[in-house]
Amino acid sequence: MVKEIERAGIPVVHMCTVTPISMTVGANRIVPTIAIPHPLGNPALTHEEEKVLRRKLVETALQALTTEVEDQTIFEPKL
Amino acid sequence: MKLEMGYINIHDIQFSNESKVENGVLYVDQDAVKKLVLEDENIKSVTLDIAHPGESVRITPVKDVIEPRVKVEGPGGIFPGVIAKVDTVGSGKTYALKGMAVVTAGKIVGFQEGIIDMSGPGADYTPFSKLHNLVMVCEPVEGLAQHDYERAVRFAGFKVAVYLGELARNLTPDETKVFETYGVKEGIEKFPNLPRVAYVHMLQSQGLLHDTYVYGVDAKRTLTTILNPTEVMDGAIVSGNCVSACDKNTTYHHLNNPVVHDLFEQHGKTLNYVCNIITNENVYLADKQRSSDWSAKLCRLLDLDGVIVSQEGFGNPDTDLIMNTKKIEAVGVKTTIITDEYAGQDGKSQSLADADPAADAVVTGGNANMVIHLPKMDKVIGMLDYVDVIAGGHEGSLKEDGTIEAELQVITGATNEMGFNKLSAR
Repeated sequence: MVKEIERAGIPVVHMCTVTPISMTVGANRIVPTIAIPHPLGNPALTHEEEKVLRRKLVETALQALTTEVEDQTIFEPKL
Repeated sequence: MKLEMGYINIHDIQFSNESKVENGVLYVDQDAVKKLVLEDENIKSVTLDIAHPGESVRITPVKDVIEPRVKVEGPGGIFPGVIAKVDTVGSGKTYALKGMAVVTAGKIVGFQEGIIDMSGPGADYTPFSKLHNLVMVCEPVEGLAQHDYERAVRFAGFKVAVYLGELARNLTPDETKVFETYGVKEGIEKFPNLPRVAYVHMLQSQGLLHDTYVYGVDAKRTLTTILNPTEVMDGAIVSGNCVSACDKNTTYHHLNNPVVHDLFEQHGKTLNYVCNIITNENVYLADKQRSSDWSAKLCRLLDLDGVIVSQEGFGNPDTDLIMNTKKIEAVGVKTTIITDEYAGQDGKSQSLADADPAADAVVTGGNANMVIHLPKMDKVIGMLDYVDVIAGGHEGSLKEDGTIEAELQVITGATNEMGFNKLSAR
């Protein structure tokens, strides 16, 4: 899906936990997430902590979306 | 470490008023077995049934398959850390009841249990259709949480298998076989010219009822480590898995691991079988990286020449498989991997979620997406409620006439990634 949307000219950020698969299938902008069963959350945190976590992940993704890349790039969120 | 396995061939199971093994027949006292199972207050009721090869019987939803064994000599007992106390197993003498199994069934997760057909085309796809099966369908008490239900059925199966195995303690085996591996230095001195080979055994450990236990420890909380190959024959590794039926390793598979048996077959002839390396398949990337780092580290430390890597499950574990392969090859150890494929119903899609040129020796258990048609069976042990939603099934899988159209995925053990089954392209 990432590749097809990009083929249509729209840049995509792939947020995922298993970044090696994302690299293998050819995503260009990748943001690593928390875990496979809960990529964008962490049940071990309080609701307040989780909200901060989510915001950081989304902001990293938005930053990635607006960054020019020459090659496949992983954008590490500052958690 | 040296283990003598004694095989007691069972060619029939019958209900009786006394549990015993006599002339190859296993007699089962239903009341005694039920009493044992109902010791667990989480189980409301249990129904026992017997399924023989060739009968028009469908067993579903299947959770686990277990071979009864008993430790006759040497330290520890069967299923250490689970049923027996923790002690290092794999030496001395163990007897196994061959030709039969305990099959546990129940609607635990529903869509992640499997089907065993005892006859017809479905029977060809599962090794368990060739066994005499004592089937236990366990019902939970009302309101029991899913994970407690899973645990209760898991333990019920092991308890009954150990109870039946115990019946063989004083029998004379029909066949005996000795398995022995050596310490590092001893092995090199004994077989100076043979390549040093180990088995990298990946254990399903994704959590959320996708779990395997090693000496009672949840595998997702373990670091990659080493086992003597004979330890698995005494039940050091057990299944707690509710995953797609075709490529989950049941406890029966762990006890009878074909990679272990085939490596022993070549041990001292074409290779020196050094050990098993067990590693997990967790859901955090850091865990995947750490566990595969350790696989490669141990391969190098043991000065191996080659390894066989087997996977369990599919999807993100494909990445664990590829990470293990890449890193082990990178330290100069040759790999062959055993996996299965999800290549779409037409077989034209990418087979694995991950790939790498280092994985250039691959054995496949088959395409789990292949569509199969199963005829109606005269008798169902368990319930058909879940056939439409089982992994590999779809809405309408169960037809009004009782036939089933589904993907091969639904059949227990069909594309096993230890290579236990017999699917072939020829």
